[in-house]
Amino acid sequence: MKERIKVALAQISCKQGDKAENIRKIEDNVIKAKQQGAELIIFPEFSLTGYTVRDRVYELAETIPGHSTTVLEKLAKKTGTYIVFGMPELSEKTQATIYNAAVLVGPDGFVGKYRKMYLPTHSVFEEKRYFRPGCKAEAFDTKLGKIGLIICYDIFFPEVSRLTRLKGAQLIVCISASPATRRTFFETLTAARAIENTAFLAYVNLVGIEDGLQFWGGSRLIAPNGKVLVKAKYDEEDLVIGEINYADIRPIEAFVPTLKDLRPELFDELREAAERL
Amino acid sequence: MKLKPSVLDLNWTEVETKIKRFIKDYVEKSEAKGIVLGLSGGIDSCTVASLAALAIGGDKTLGLLLPEQETFTTKDVEHAELAAEKFGFKTEMIDITPTLKAFYDSTPIFKTTDKLSKGNIKARTRMIYVYYYANRLGMLVCGASDKSETMIGYFTKWGDVAADISPIMDLYKTQVRKLAQHIGLPKEIVTKQASPALWPGQLAEEELGIKYETLDLILYGLERFMKTEEIAQQLGAKKELINKIKLRWVSMEHKRRMPLTTKMQYRTVGADFRLPRTLH
Repeated sequence: MKERIKVALAQISCKQGDKAENIRKIEDNVIKAKQQGAELIIFPEFSLTGYTVRDRVYELAETIPGHSTTVLEKLAKKTGTYIVFGMPELSEKTQATIYNAAVLVGPDGFVGKYRKMYLPTHSVFEEKRYFRPGCKAEAFDTKLGKIGLIICYDIFFPEVSRLTRLKGAQLIVCISASPATRRTFFETLTAARAIENTAFLAYVNLVGIEDGLQFWGGSRLIAPNGKVLVKAKYDEEDLVIGEINYADIRPIEAFVPTLKDLRPELFDELREAAERL
Repeated sequence: MKLKPSVLDLNWTEVETKIKRFIKDYVEKSEAKGIVLGLSGGIDSCTVASLAALAIGGDKTLGLLLPEQETFTTKDVEHAELAAEKFGFKTEMIDITPTLKAFYDSTPIFKTTDKLSKGNIKARTRMIYVYYYANRLGMLVCGASDKSETMIGYFTKWGDVAADISPIMDLYKTQVRKLAQHIGLPKEIVTKQASPALWPGQLAEEELGIKYETLDLILYGLERFMKTEEIAQQLGAKKELINKIKLRWVSMEHKRRMPLTTKMQYRTVGADFRLPRTLH
């Protein structure tokens, strides 16, 4: 495993419902990021289709692996990079059961997928109407280290990031489609998740306007001490690259030893209390 | 939560940026040639026209002044021209009196003393002009309704509210005033009393029986699920007044939505036919 890696945060806007156009944009960004030395390029939640697709999700969803992941696997192979992107995943066993998924492909092809566990269905969000929640945290072994995947609203629930960390992820990738009214929450929580897990956290948000929702961008790579290493612009497309040095985790983990101090017995109580809420 | 005027404060630079971005994005995605809107000379339409000019350019923004003899005031025209001059957008004036007269004269059941029905004809006639211009010139209609009037239904259904986009519909009236001040609209427009101009001498606050400063705080409280008792207590207002506003707030939903139909098929417009507003 490499100790130092270069991560690109590809903060794009998407054309709603136009996968071909969005794949073209992903390709452009991967090539540009690769030219600047990036080894992992991360795109926002639903970067394949745009976030606000509503009923069109039934025609846009694909199995994973499937056509679009194959296209992006080829791109990853061709460029020798790892790519994370978001898409609606059609269950292989059904015809209209869909997940909100994050996909990781790499130089050797398909690596893995994560199905969003916490689906916002409040305010302007209607994800439970369309998606089945995932039921498993995911972290994947790669040549760039173990990478955990989470999606947007998951970040409000520390247990998701914590689970990826306990599975060994030293880099937590959070892909997102967050509208501007929620910016302060995410700016706080992204740093919190990095600190409490003594892990790097890469947050990549959508930009652009979809159905009146303005996505705020502000993607960032955060160190285990909460320091923002690189940050993309607010509200505009941007591509920024930051470097991770996994060796930086050790001094922080010794200084704020949250993993050493974990109290598993409290989780039983947490579960019981949550069931009684 | 404490209901005080400061709760309505926003970062006006951010608000201005968001609205301009929204207008520009929508015009570009729809491949329209520009924006046309009814320009009354009041604060809402002057603010929207100015923001549109800032967003897409004054040469692509057309304000239509549509006066009619009963409610005509030179002040309104002056204010509209003042904003146009400052922000560089185009204007055109059409006297709609003959059109209204033709309607009055040709409608068997027309009754001049029915002020509201007659007033609504004016708003809807203006809508026809604005949409005609939009169709002929390949432009979009931009609405200038604010959140205060939208939430209490203080507008003409399919009249002044009719538009392709409504950039300030999420800002209460007192917030529009702050925004107008922020972008530099002249003081006489910012402090001008609001009027739908459906009949002579009509003033919004007089007709509604409440100042916008109070109304906006009530609406803000209702928006955040506050109880009417709590709002009344905090504002030192009578509970009956808050209940009256809440009743309007709830019962005017029919003016804010697509027409209701009854569900008979698989997917139904306005109910479970849910498509994104993609423009391509």
